[in-house]
Amino acid sequence: MHDPMLDEVPPEDQWQVDLGQVGLFRRVLNGRRWYGVDWWMVVISSFMVAFFILIAFFPTLISSYDPLEQVGPRFLPPGDVPDEEVIVVRVDSPIDSLAEFAGEDRVPTGVVQGAPSSEDIRSEADRVTDELAAEGSDERVRLKIVRYETLDEMLVGVTDKEVEFGVASSSELAPLMGSYPELEISGPISGEKGGKSFPLGTNQIGQDVLSRLAWGTRIALIIGFTASLFSLFIGVPLGLLAGYTGGKFDRFFTLIMDSLYAFPGLILAIAIAAVLGPSIVNVIVAIAVLYIPTYYRIVRGQTLSTKESLHVEAAVSIGATKVSIMRRYIFPLVIPSVAIIFSVNIADAILTGAALSFLGLGLPPTTPDWGIDLARGQEFIQRAWWLITFPGIAVMLIVLAFTMLGEGLMEIFNPKLRKQ
Amino acid sequence: MTAEILYSIRNLDVEYDTRIGGVRAVDDLSLDIYKGEIIGLVGESGCGKSTLGKAMMRTISSPGHIVGGELWFEGVDLMTLSEKEMSSIRGNRVGMVFQDPMTSLNPLMKISDHLTEAIRTHYPKMSEAAARARAVEMVKDLGIREERIDDYPHQFSGGMRQRIMIALVLALNAALIIADEPTTALDVIVEAQFLDLLRDLREEFELTILLITHNIGVVAELADRVAVMYAGKVAEVAPVEPAFLDTKHPYSRGLLRSVPNIDVDNQELYKMTGAPPNLIAPPSGCRFHPRCPYAVDLCTDDEPRLLDVSGDGHLASCWIYSDALHRPMDPEHV
Repeated sequence: MHDPMLDEVPPEDQWQVDLGQVGLFRRVLNGRRWYGVDWWMVVISSFMVAFFILIAFFPTLISSYDPLEQVGPRFLPPGDVPDEEVIVVRVDSPIDSLAEFAGEDRVPTGVVQGAPSSEDIRSEADRVTDELAAEGSDERVRLKIVRYETLDEMLVGVTDKEVEFGVASSSELAPLMGSYPELEISGPISGEKGGKSFPLGTNQIGQDVLSRLAWGTRIALIIGFTASLFSLFIGVPLGLLAGYTGGKFDRFFTLIMDSLYAFPGLILAIAIAAVLGPSIVNVIVAIAVLYIPTYYRIVRGQTLSTKESLHVEAAVSIGATKVSIMRRYIFPLVIPSVAIIFSVNIADAILTGAALSFLGLGLPPTTPDWGIDLARGQEFIQRAWWLITFPGIAVMLIVLAFTMLGEGLMEIFNPKLRKQ
Repeated sequence: MTAEILYSIRNLDVEYDTRIGGVRAVDDLSLDIYKGEIIGLVGESGCGKSTLGKAMMRTISSPGHIVGGELWFEGVDLMTLSEKEMSSIRGNRVGMVFQDPMTSLNPLMKISDHLTEAIRTHYPKMSEAAARARAVEMVKDLGIREERIDDYPHQFSGGMRQRIMIALVLALNAALIIADEPTTALDVIVEAQFLDLLRDLREEFELTILLITHNIGVVAELADRVAVMYAGKVAEVAPVEPAFLDTKHPYSRGLLRSVPNIDVDNQELYKMTGAPPNLIAPPSGCRFHPRCPYAVDLCTDDEPRLLDVSGDGHLASCWIYSDALHRPMDPEHV
């Protein structure tokens, strides 16, 4: 009988892969075949993590606005160009900027009565005059402002050459321009082409949402990494010591760690942050304290079991010191678990950090932070959906990236842990 | 016997704490180990052989602890030493080889690191290069190629790893090696090679070896003397020939008869009656009396002492050989 299995014998070289010779990259790529791991999880999440780290180092790459300054109108929706005062001219007499009228006497200029345009055009004319003076010229730009009742009247005035040009806001002009084929918009009164646009809109005080996000990445990563490192550097040695020496030391610290662990995490962090007051260092301390028990318990448990293994006993019998046994015979066997907790822990710490600032307990209110943006944005959720949507997505993505990376790496480095 | 005593165990008690009381795994045990000999320590599982081996290095870990006794080694009672002084003797003067060579090496350390670590633990002033040179020398001596020294334990076979364990001990001029069932995990061919190696090393390095095993064949092959343990006590100590040919203690006889023998045409394997005693509540008097075919009332009441029964260093602890009870053992009866 024909055995279908025989057809599927892999080529010979596939059996000859020496795992010791295989680099990390190939392991990740071949993870699915070798360990049944979803390697794409690792690849995607590494790219995401790399992206966030890049932004944290160079926030100006994706948005050059200052996150703390008012850079545009308030509540500007994503992608919209803000209103601008533009110059309307006749098609046959193109005018590019006010500087062209320097030295001419009282150029007739049309505005709509009561609109901000009349103020704006005056100050712009003064600005241009100042600029000319700075260049050493004594010519001035002098305008004769002609006020019209409505925008339509003004446009007719421009068409009929009652005035040289008109000034109005771009959003009001847009629907009317079709009915005046002899007219065209020459550009903003300042002469600079193209208004500022904000890809993710602006918030309630005119700050750029995107640049706040970019600078917030830095804060999130600083909190995530330092808090996790802090708890690692305290939790791991304590766990090793307690697990290896046992006795009263072990009982004392296990009691403390278990008490910490028994608290609901966020409530403990809130309590610590509330006592310490708002500053980034205090947020890091509050979160670090929260996660020390995680490292402590895992490392202590693994130390307890590794301590009983024969190679440790053999190390004792060759007279190795306690420090050397902990450092060289137990710690290396604990590293894989610590690395995995670390990665998942960063995600957790970022989330907790965002929660603290959301509650107003974390960072000083001037910091560009996702949690703070979320907290402020929720007041305007009906008016400006983009204020909380984008920080929310950012928090979700960064947490997802670190968690996926941790889980994926765990499956690759520690296939034994996988459930069949 | 006039040979120099290297290690003398005097009235050693080792107890394990359990929820239902202390288990005395080694009870008032005394044993002398002479310089340059290989002494085999045999007995059933759970009779305290390995505990004795660990107690001799003071590496019994909680819940076990040494309750009392003296451990005289090179003129010092090891029980009086501090933990730090003891550390300097461990590995340096008394070394241990473990049962399972597969797990007794750190999987994340190279062989060279194991050896240099052992050497530099005891000679901190020795340079890394000198320690490595010594390690290479050691490994070559034991028949492992020099270039393998930077491999990891998983790249070695069981026999090779056991040789590495020996190298760890030999690298430090240990006078006494406690080998705790060193060949249990090895197949017979590797076992034979390993035993040959031990014999050669004994001559080359003037080693004294305490061979803990339940393989009586290994003892007959290699040992100069045999000590038989039963329930935390020494039942019989004898030079190897009398131990096998003129066995004195009823338990030793039973133990020897339980070994399958190809020369005896008997389908049924001999089984000793009863089971080893519960050490939480050991039997009164002689601990072997519930299973002993010669037991009399005296055995239930009083504990026999370890006596020289033939005047040539053949010790046995049985009332049969004391003046209180003169009843020759019938060899056919057992």
